[in-house]
Amino acid sequence: MLETLSLDDRVVVITGGGTGLGLAMVRALARAGANLSIAGRRQGPIDDAAAEVKALGRDSLAVSTDVTDSAQVDRLIAATMDHFGHIDVLINNAGAVLEAVRKPIWEITDQEWHSEMDVNLTGAFFCARSASKPMADRGSGKIINVASGFGLRGGRDIYMYCCSKGGMIQLTRVLSFNLARHGITANTIVPGFIPTVNASESMGNSVPQSGDLLPIGKLGKPEDLGPLAVFLSSEASDYMSGEMFIADGGGLAAGIAPAGHAPVVPLEA
Amino acid sequence: MPILPEFSLAGRAAILATSGGDQAPLLAQALVEAGASVFTIARTQPLLDAVLDGLPGTGNQKGAVIGSPSSESLRTAMAEFGLAHGRLDILVNDNRSMFAKPFTEITLEEWDEVHSRNVKFTFMLCQEAGLRMTQQGYGRIVNVVSELAERGMANGAAFAASQASLLSLTRSLGVEWGRSNVRVNALGMGWFSSEDLPLEVQREDLVVRYTPLRRLGHPRDIGPLLVYLCSEACDYTTGQPVYVDGGLNAHP
Repeated sequence: MLETLSLDDRVVVITGGGTGLGLAMVRALARAGANLSIAGRRQGPIDDAAAEVKALGRDSLAVSTDVTDSAQVDRLIAATMDHFGHIDVLINNAGAVLEAVRKPIWEITDQEWHSEMDVNLTGAFFCARSASKPMADRGSGKIINVASGFGLRGGRDIYMYCCSKGGMIQLTRVLSFNLARHGITANTIVPGFIPTVNASESMGNSVPQSGDLLPIGKLGKPEDLGPLAVFLSSEASDYMSGEMFIADGGGLAAGIAPAGHAPVVPLEA
Repeated sequence: MPILPEFSLAGRAAILATSGGDQAPLLAQALVEAGASVFTIARTQPLLDAVLDGLPGTGNQKGAVIGSPSSESLRTAMAEFGLAHGRLDILVNDNRSMFAKPFTEITLEEWDEVHSRNVKFTFMLCQEAGLRMTQQGYGRIVNVVSELAERGMANGAAFAASQASLLSLTRSLGVEWGRSNVRVNALGMGWFSSEDLPLEVQREDLVVRYTPLRRLGHPRDIGPLLVYLCSEACDYTTGQPVYVDGGLNAHP
């Protein structure tokens, strides 16, 4: 039954696929046999990622896309359909990590609220709206949203990031509920702290520099998400929908408290 | 058909425990297909036979029966396991012995028995495995649980409470053994059947029509996920449940 984990010639669209977590997922997906349509704002990184996919013997397309512009999103989906003929999987991975605003609530401008919500949440909605149409016409498809542990907990001065990522988890549930009848599933990957260059630059000291406070004692690596993205993109996850797959070093199970042990307390008399 | 080498369990020694239901044979087959050797500990001889009959390879047709959890029965079973295996890398607990009855009619004995089969059995095996795994600095434990761990069901209180216990155990052990490179997760299941019933027959059941994907789950729907959760590649997930339920949890 493990042959269902192969992505032989599946077509995966991934946003934010040129760097960070997205690039790690692209590499694993291609190794598992997928063909990739890679979106990102900057052409350079997605061209490089597309070249890596080709070097692995799979087909790829790099489409420069700003996901906050629905016309550009529609062009991404149209270009993917033109090139590959169908779409099996959409991975909504693009997010404003570099631009994440961390400020006390009274200093956040309307513009800052809207722009970060747009990149993290509205962009995913645009992509899901556009890609799910050809999926529904074909009667099958998978949508994978990348959220964050901050979508389930609060962070100091992290308003838009927490709200938009919480929105991603809900977007997944609503998509899964409504699109099930069209053969489409939706699931969320919830990563905990996984340092990428982007995250360290923008989130500053809200991203731990070591794993000391995490139950497993270390931070995650972008590569940790590779096999997970492959599983969720594959036939092996066909009966899973509306769910979260949390990869966070035990942070949410414990709370990122000083994650130590309770003192030994004997049974009460 | 390229399959990532990260999903391989080659060379890994696993124990699969089952206290009820008919899904353990396919779970065992998934582990063996991924390259693990499997030693089965079942609550009854028929449960054990069902798993062993479905397995290929001489090393995998070994197991033991533990009718009721006790230190002595565990010692005997682990001694048999030890004859074939030097180390223990993987423990899968499929302890979902079902029981349903109006709450006011449940006897103390029935309550104890459900919790003994599902919770005490799991506690005992986790303790045994955890001792070995924390010492060797590597291990993967997966507790297969019913989704009733998260939802209430009329007449299901005793069973659901036993499954919620397993979920709580998963969280604490994931945290307690995190630094020893032992990962503990739960695989949550919605409504499943091991029979391949035609869709029209399945949909005569209201609960199937209510499930967004409009079919029952089959153990093969969780085999590959079980393998991933048991693999070395599943390093950054611990203390968490992953549900496979055809979309039920996202349903009002």
